[in-house]
Amino acid sequence: MGRRRRAEQERAGAAGALPDAIAALSRTLPAGPSPETFRRAKFDRPEAAPPLWRMLFLALSPLPGDCAPAPRAPPAPPALGKPRPPRAPPTASPAPAGSRAPQPWPCPLAAGASGSCGPAPEAQVRLVKRALRSQGYPRRALAQLPEDGARGSRELLLALAWLLARGPLLERLLGRTRVRLGDEVALCQGEAPASPGPPAACGGADGPVDIRHLQWLMGKLRLQWRNLMTSQQEQCALLGKIHSYTRGCHSDRSLGHLSVAETEMLRDPEGGRQLLRRLESENARLEAALAWRRRELVFWQWMDTVLGACPLEAAQPPFLPRIPESGADQLEMVAQQLQALHEELQGAVEPRRAAWEARVGGSGSEWSALQRATQEAVGQELAALRRAWEEGGAPAQPHGPCRLVKSDARASGGPGLRAAEVIGALRSREACLEAVLRQLQSQCRQELAQLAAALPGLIWILPPGH
Amino acid sequence: MLPAGCSRRLVAELRDALDACAERQRRLERSLRACRRLLRPWEAAELPAAEPTPAPETQEEAPSPACTPSPQDLKELELLTQTLEKAVRVRKSVSKAAERHKALSLKSGSTAASAPSRVSGQAGRRASETKPLRCIHQTGVPAEGLPECRLLSAGDRTCKGKGARATKPGPGLRDQLPLAAPPAPEVFTLKEKGVLLKLPTAYRKAASQNSRLWTQLSSTQTSDSVDAATNAKTQFLQKMKMASGWPGSGLSAAEVEAEVGLLWKACSLLRQRMEEELLADCADWVQEYHCLLTLEGLQAITGQCLHRLQELRAEMVGQQLGPWPEERCPRASGSCEGRTDPTWSSQLLLYSSTAELQTLAALRLRVAMLEQQIHLEKVLMAELLPLVSTPEAQGPPPLALCRAVHSLLCEGGERFLTILRDEPAS
Repeated sequence: MGRRRRAEQERAGAAGALPDAIAALSRTLPAGPSPETFRRAKFDRPEAAPPLWRMLFLALSPLPGDCAPAPRAPPAPPALGKPRPPRAPPTASPAPAGSRAPQPWPCPLAAGASGSCGPAPEAQVRLVKRALRSQGYPRRALAQLPEDGARGSRELLLALAWLLARGPLLERLLGRTRVRLGDEVALCQGEAPASPGPPAACGGADGPVDIRHLQWLMGKLRLQWRNLMTSQQEQCALLGKIHSYTRGCHSDRSLGHLSVAETEMLRDPEGGRQLLRRLESENARLEAALAWRRRELVFWQWMDTVLGACPLEAAQPPFLPRIPESGADQLEMVAQQLQALHEELQGAVEPRRAAWEARVGGSGSEWSALQRATQEAVGQELAALRRAWEEGGAPAQPHGPCRLVKSDARASGGPGLRAAEVIGALRSREACLEAVLRQLQSQCRQELAQLAAALPGLIWILPPGH
Repeated sequence: MLPAGCSRRLVAELRDALDACAERQRRLERSLRACRRLLRPWEAAELPAAEPTPAPETQEEAPSPACTPSPQDLKELELLTQTLEKAVRVRKSVSKAAERHKALSLKSGSTAASAPSRVSGQAGRRASETKPLRCIHQTGVPAEGLPECRLLSAGDRTCKGKGARATKPGPGLRDQLPLAAPPAPEVFTLKEKGVLLKLPTAYRKAASQNSRLWTQLSSTQTSDSVDAATNAKTQFLQKMKMASGWPGSGLSAAEVEAEVGLLWKACSLLRQRMEEELLADCADWVQEYHCLLTLEGLQAITGQCLHRLQELRAEMVGQQLGPWPEERCPRASGSCEGRTDPTWSSQLLLYSSTAELQTLAALRLRVAMLEQQIHLEKVLMAELLPLVSTPEAQGPPPLALCRAVHSLLCEGGERFLTILRDEPAS
């Protein structure tokens, strides 16, 4: 019944539906441009371009776009953290979301709607172009827009629509800046390691370095990880205490106890009010997103007209995005590894096949049945192996942050993951990664052993343990 | 000394890794500070000065938050205070059994629909005297806008004497003092009084609305409008492609990288499997056949992966350098977002003891560390191995370099080998 009513509303209010849809979209997006900007963009008005550039920049930059301006002015790139607003309620995450590994971009510190601090418009424009290109944006007109950000509003509108059409952009943006009320653990598997940033823009050495510098950096890294582990253990102990002390206080039965953020809110009323405000503004954005969902059809119909209004791009030879250098390197490395593996397998298979053929010769009927059974079994095993990497490991792996809840071991009813299961999954992942690392290291050892063999007159004494 | 380009890249990578670690440490320390602050006694100095202090409690003892002292609130609180005073007086003058009787009658007389079950559930270990006071508190707060303050009634203090735990505040705690005479100032510690905390109503409403909205947002409902919208989107994407003369099969850089990542995984899994098979002892002919077929299957799959790689390479090679900027692209999308169906709403993770939580967190960190190590290993291999293995124009590579490279690549920088010169005695 609700659906019918909504459909009727849509048909009846078609005239008013488009402004509503655009208004909802504008409320949901971070630094969402006003509906008027959208209308102007259809006609490619220049004044609509800067807000659209800014909005796309916030949507595409790796950092959450709405960090409040930090007390200090944005420093030169070496400070690669995310400065948090000083009074934000702390969200205790025992394992801070690794997917937010610090991006090697200077924090934009763009303060949402008001003002536009942050990197210069040219830098914003460049980032937007790069990001769209790496995701495969098809139109070349975007690349040809001037870098001062003064033109191109219609193209940007198309880019926004393209992003919206391809994936859950709004949900992703909302999730990125979600207010965390609980103590969260990020269980993202397969996190990307610190991505290769702008080549030597920050942190790179200026000239040739001694390899001992690299050794020193590695040692420092090891030490930092060790410190991290001990701090982590302490934090878990404290969390456990806080959770037990506030047992029974939460209004939500399934949670049972307060989190650090909630307790902090009770201790510090000012912080509590801020949290409440953030929560309410997020609720407003969520409602806008749901309203958008109900009305987005008219938006797509309108976008068709916008696309139609664009001049056709002159037929030019097909243009493909350029894969960045790092991608090419990785590809070559994988190719080498696979090639080496292929050769080893060949070396293992040929003698065995020859030996088998020599033995079996003419196979009797019982043999062929056995052969078929074995073939099936092997086929299934290999299919499972294939699935292991194609589907990214075990299905239904927990994604994203999970809220920690301390509860006595209960029967397997009720929602939520059990820590024991997660520990099991993590252990197997750990074993898998250790195997990979060991294998890479042994490959290196072999190569260096070959080198050692080529240098006569030396004795190589390996460290103990091998 | 290493060549300049190599140095630059390697130092940049290591510094990135260090920064990632430092960021984690910073976040962890921020959260540690917050936790420690919560576990210490909550000092009065941190509380807002303008307190609508109910008469029985001095300002130091009533760290009730943000009961913004509007005149109406003050009046209501005064009412509450008087009720509390009365209750304590009543309790003092009557025996325990009679107290309970009175309490029950108070409760039944209350008009607010506060759930006594909730109160009793939360009372837990505390003595029953707190129950009536709790109810009174709830009835006495009529306005919705007034955030429910934490309850620190004197009645609670009197009950503390029953607690087996050592209480931190002074002896005034154990005395059955009348509310009118403020006892020694006491502070709030989470350990003893944490169970008394209550979340303000406004927050509760906002939080439940928040979780409801998130659930709605993440649920994928199929309705006519949703399907129509999906179709419209697909059509729009098609039109965009056609309007730009796109060949149709091009992959974006992000997709190529993702595939390369998968192939890395494939390579290590295949290799692992191969080593298992090679090590396994074949007891009879059936097992031998099994082993043979497995190895042949692995070989076939490896061949397919290589083929796919060549396709990807061809895509890369057949490009034009367009007017796009040349630099590397940022990893705009997070790691989890390429997967199918990321869940936006937080799931719950239930743990039963601190030890379990510590194990979980330690494993989580260890996995992250291993991932970083593997990435660094690959990068180091790509940069350093060519330096030592290619035949140098000026003779063999310096031994110090070999030793350092071996340590970095094969031992993770933790151990070193020794190289001795084996010179014939001459």
